[in-house]
Amino acid sequence: MLRLIAQRIGGMLLVLLIVAFCTFAVFYLVPSDPAQLACGRPCTEQNLALAREFMGMDSPWWRQFTDFLVGVAAGRTFGSGATAIHCAAPCFGYSFQQNTDVVTLIAERVPVTFSLAIGAAVLWLVFGIGLGVLAALRRGTAFDRIALAASVAGVSAPVYLVGLLGILVFGFTLDVVPVGGYVPFSESPVDWAWRLVMPWIVLAFLHAAFYVRLVRSQMLETLNEDFIRTARAKGLSESKVVGKHALRNVLLPVVTLVGIDLGGLLGGAVITESVFSLPGLGGLLINAVHSRDLPLVLGCTLFAGFLVVVANALVDLCYGVLDPRARLT
Amino acid sequence: MLHKRLLAVALAAVAVTACGANDPKPGTGQGQQAAAGGTLYILNQGQTQNFDPAKSQSLAITSLGLVHRRLTGWLNAEGKQTEVVPDLADTGKASNDGKTWTFTLKDGQKFHDGSPITSADVKWGVERTFAPAFSGGLGYHKQLLVGGAEYRGPFEGKELDSVKTPDAKTIVFELNRPYGDWPWIASTPAFAPVPKGKGAEPDYSEHPFASGPFQVAKYQKGVEARLSRNPNWDKASDTIRAGLPEQVVIQLGQEASVVSQRLAADSGDDKFAFGSSFVSPAQLAQLQNNASAKQRVVTSKSGALAFLALNTQKLTNPKVRQAFQYAVDKAQYQIASAGNAQLAGDTASTLITQGIVGREQFNLYEAPPNGDQEKAKKLLADAGFPNGLENLDFLVSTDNNYPEKAQALQAALLKAGIKTNIRTLDDDAYRAEITAADAKYDLTLASWQPDFPSANANIQPLFATSEIGGGGYNSARYSNPEVDELIEEAQATVDPAEAGKKWAALDRKILEDSPVVPLIYTRNSFLRGSKVGNFFIADFPAYPNYLQVGITP
Amino acid sequence: MPAAILRMLRRDRWALAGAVTVTVIGFVAVFATLLTTIAGHDPYTYDSAALDPATGQPAGVLGGISGDHWFGVEPLTGRDLFAIVVHGTRTSFFIGIASTVVSVVLGVLVGAAAGYLGGWTDRIVTWAVDVFLGFPYLVFMIAISMVAPPEIPKPLLLIVVIGFFGWPGIARIVRAQTLTLKQRNFVAAARTLGAGPWHVFRTELLPNLWAPIIVVATLSVPSRIGLEAALSFLGVGVPVPTPSWGRSISEAIQWVGTDPMLLIFPGLALFLTTWGFNVFGDGLRDALDPKSGVR
Repeated sequence: MLRLIAQRIGGMLLVLLIVAFCTFAVFYLVPSDPAQLACGRPCTEQNLALAREFMGMDSPWWRQFTDFLVGVAAGRTFGSGATAIHCAAPCFGYSFQQNTDVVTLIAERVPVTFSLAIGAAVLWLVFGIGLGVLAALRRGTAFDRIALAASVAGVSAPVYLVGLLGILVFGFTLDVVPVGGYVPFSESPVDWAWRLVMPWIVLAFLHAAFYVRLVRSQMLETLNEDFIRTARAKGLSESKVVGKHALRNVLLPVVTLVGIDLGGLLGGAVITESVFSLPGLGGLLINAVHSRDLPLVLGCTLFAGFLVVVANALVDLCYGVLDPRARLT
Repeated sequence: MLHKRLLAVALAAVAVTACGANDPKPGTGQGQQAAAGGTLYILNQGQTQNFDPAKSQSLAITSLGLVHRRLTGWLNAEGKQTEVVPDLADTGKASNDGKTWTFTLKDGQKFHDGSPITSADVKWGVERTFAPAFSGGLGYHKQLLVGGAEYRGPFEGKELDSVKTPDAKTIVFELNRPYGDWPWIASTPAFAPVPKGKGAEPDYSEHPFASGPFQVAKYQKGVEARLSRNPNWDKASDTIRAGLPEQVVIQLGQEASVVSQRLAADSGDDKFAFGSSFVSPAQLAQLQNNASAKQRVVTSKSGALAFLALNTQKLTNPKVRQAFQYAVDKAQYQIASAGNAQLAGDTASTLITQGIVGREQFNLYEAPPNGDQEKAKKLLADAGFPNGLENLDFLVSTDNNYPEKAQALQAALLKAGIKTNIRTLDDDAYRAEITAADAKYDLTLASWQPDFPSANANIQPLFATSEIGGGGYNSARYSNPEVDELIEEAQATVDPAEAGKKWAALDRKILEDSPVVPLIYTRNSFLRGSKVGNFFIADFPAYPNYLQVGITP
Repeated sequence: MPAAILRMLRRDRWALAGAVTVTVIGFVAVFATLLTTIAGHDPYTYDSAALDPATGQPAGVLGGISGDHWFGVEPLTGRDLFAIVVHGTRTSFFIGIASTVVSVVLGVLVGAAAGYLGGWTDRIVTWAVDVFLGFPYLVFMIAISMVAPPEIPKPLLLIVVIGFFGWPGIARIVRAQTLTLKQRNFVAAARTLGAGPWHVFRTELLPNLWAPIIVVATLSVPSRIGLEAALSFLGVGVPVPTPSWGRSISEAIQWVGTDPMLLIFPGLALFLTTWGFNVFGDGLRDALDPKSGVR
């Protein structure tokens, strides 16, 4: 058991290491010079060289990468003497553009992205599973057909399009919901929810579409299985058959999908956040990419990768609970 | 960050003389007379607000000026030329043909903690800008001060000997060549005082020693900077700051479109707010349907020179470059940049921007507003390109709608037989390529506002050979030894009027070689809440004067 | 197989609608230039006469829709929106299809190799698929399109990049299918007769993999088209002035309050295309893979 866990954690770390290396490699090649930003105006060759040295960018690429890894484990110091900048372990780098260490920057954005992702996930799970089960039980009825048509539409529509249409219709034309911005929960829970209503609904609509399709087909398949027939033959009530036996079987693939979706969303819904002007991780990452803030890019991708890896591990754990056959494999 | 970038790249000037049909109606938008008291809100797009003078590139009249005084300051007003005036000190006396400058500090100046401001604190502030940890600000002084090239800041234990403080009130700068604009240089952020020995910490920008009307009371990263009154600010000696509000709150990370909607709606605290970034064409269009908001838009009379730079290392034939002067469609460019000529700004034909001392209005390449593509074709044919030019690399930044503006030029150039491929890069990568030693581009779209209101700041950074590559902004890669010599000569001239004449002659001389095509003097529009008063944009720069803004009763 | 598809189209009206939509859009993509010539505008010419001189917005109602400009014009430029949308079809359709081909070829080769060869190959592939699915690939695509030298044509780069990041999903399905096929008698027979892996792949596996491959390819075209649009939306897609739906939609964001038509036409085109591929793909799956027939 312990060996299994150790293996699992080792695998996770390896994945993260590869993600870090690839990110570093790609951005190292991007033709831009962060030192130039720190050089001032007018900028001279000497100033440029000084800025490079201070940011630790004058050493070879492999050295910069290992410096980063050492920093994660043991912390780092930039510069020397009275003006040195200390970045305590775990130091995922220091953003010279924002004058802050990367961990702090990410921590500031986490509440926004988590509010968005978790709120939307609750909505889409309730509606996705509910509608999917109903559609399967009423197979062939008008309800089923409408649910299916709507879910195909949901699967086909890109998030920025639905988001923008939502803003256009409910924000501008009807003027019933705010169209962007974020208010912290601690400041005003009502405003917090009210500002997030549109993004939640949009994200939930698009995701629920996948869940309706998945749950419906899975449910239909399950209802034909022998053990359901046995249960029915034993005289169990229909609600018990569906609610306990069939649903349990249906939830397995749903759990996998939730793991992947949520793991991805928590790392930053880049486009959703940009459409709704939400200051979340996605926006932080995209800005960092655009301004070539390499330490911040590395930190954000690693955090996103970490969430995905953890989500996958949790999915496996849930599998064990839901499906005794999958335990310990 | 973005705000700083806007300041750095989109750059501006003045229109005292040119009162064409395109001028905005005077007096609209600026609001009523403000009174003392109240809380002023500034909605800032950037995630950070930098109050560290060493790292700042901000103008003398924007947010940094609320907290810091400098040796000299700017006095500006609508319809008046911007003047350099005393701030902490007088405006300096030149000796030794303009190589040595002496400033005398006013009496009784204090930091917010009550300690006196001495010449040693100003010297320390200047020295601090040389430390690698605090680079990034305006650094015109760095190359001029004797020994500046080798100096690495005071934290390594060495002084900069060319800055002398014979007594607590006197500070002397020794330059390596005569420089007439030094009083302007003394108004850049580097000349704000920092108490001797202080300011070694990386987050000094969040709790600086204040000398202006306000001090930083609270700084929340990414959220807001709250400024409160500085009890030790000496109002009597300060002629350029009204210092009206009781409190100033700078809200950070505010999306431009959200800012525009909030200010248009004008509810709650937003009545006391203004946005620090430009109102975009799309937002302006939206405001047209809102009579109240429309009234609260303030548009500058002039601004940064937008120009098409022709890489003279690739397009070596001046005849070919002159063809571009006729091929561009400036009217279409105006529409693409702001919807109409009035909001975009006048078409440009000179390098020195409107309202700068010594500027002469001339046009070497007269053409209708839509250009004269036939004439361009003929010039190209004369130069040996009867079939036009093919495959020119046209590099633009993705910021500020540049790709859309570039397409307007591309369409016009095509009519003259010049085929271009637009290549877009993020602003940072764009700047890296523009300022690097080697350039792949043939054409690029750029914009320049002088960092101080002197023709020197219009011309030297863009056309001196020393500014090619290595971080310099000579995007046309224009190199003419004769021009370099004349630039140095004009810079050495201490008398402004005499210097002005020399710069005007340079303006003409450079344009004869056609390294760039002047397009427009870009106007900037800003939006304010209904209770914000004294919100004016003077003739230079094309930004509101934060130091005068207040709340109306 | 074609007979099965025809039967399905006759029976399934949704799939038929999808097939028709996809065909029409393919037709528009191929004959874009001809269509815009008939309509009388190209997507590049600026026309300030079509704009309101006071604001630079389209003159007239609904974004300047008229007999001359069927979908209206772009604000600030006066370019014809119909021409932009039609030429955008070409960009989206070709990049979508071509990158799907890239992913399918890679995915099938890797997936079949993993399933058939098993052992270390299988372990490495399965693990690589997991790593890839955990990658913040959008960031990498953005980075790669910035790193690539300008000499490489942007559309080609997009095809390769979008295609490359699409292989893991396909490889997973192909691997699973291969594993089941491997147990079947005819494959085992071929192996005992001494056929090499490549031979088995070509003669035994591939013919039996066609059906799932076609289904998964059709169903993945929409996400490729969506990715191209998303990259253009984020400003790293095809270069200006080549029209692209994603870029049009991204530009429409700031105009949504005053000129919603700028969002609606390219948005509708994008939606119809992905919808068409999705319903057609669903129908195909039902027809070719009876086990999942749940409709």
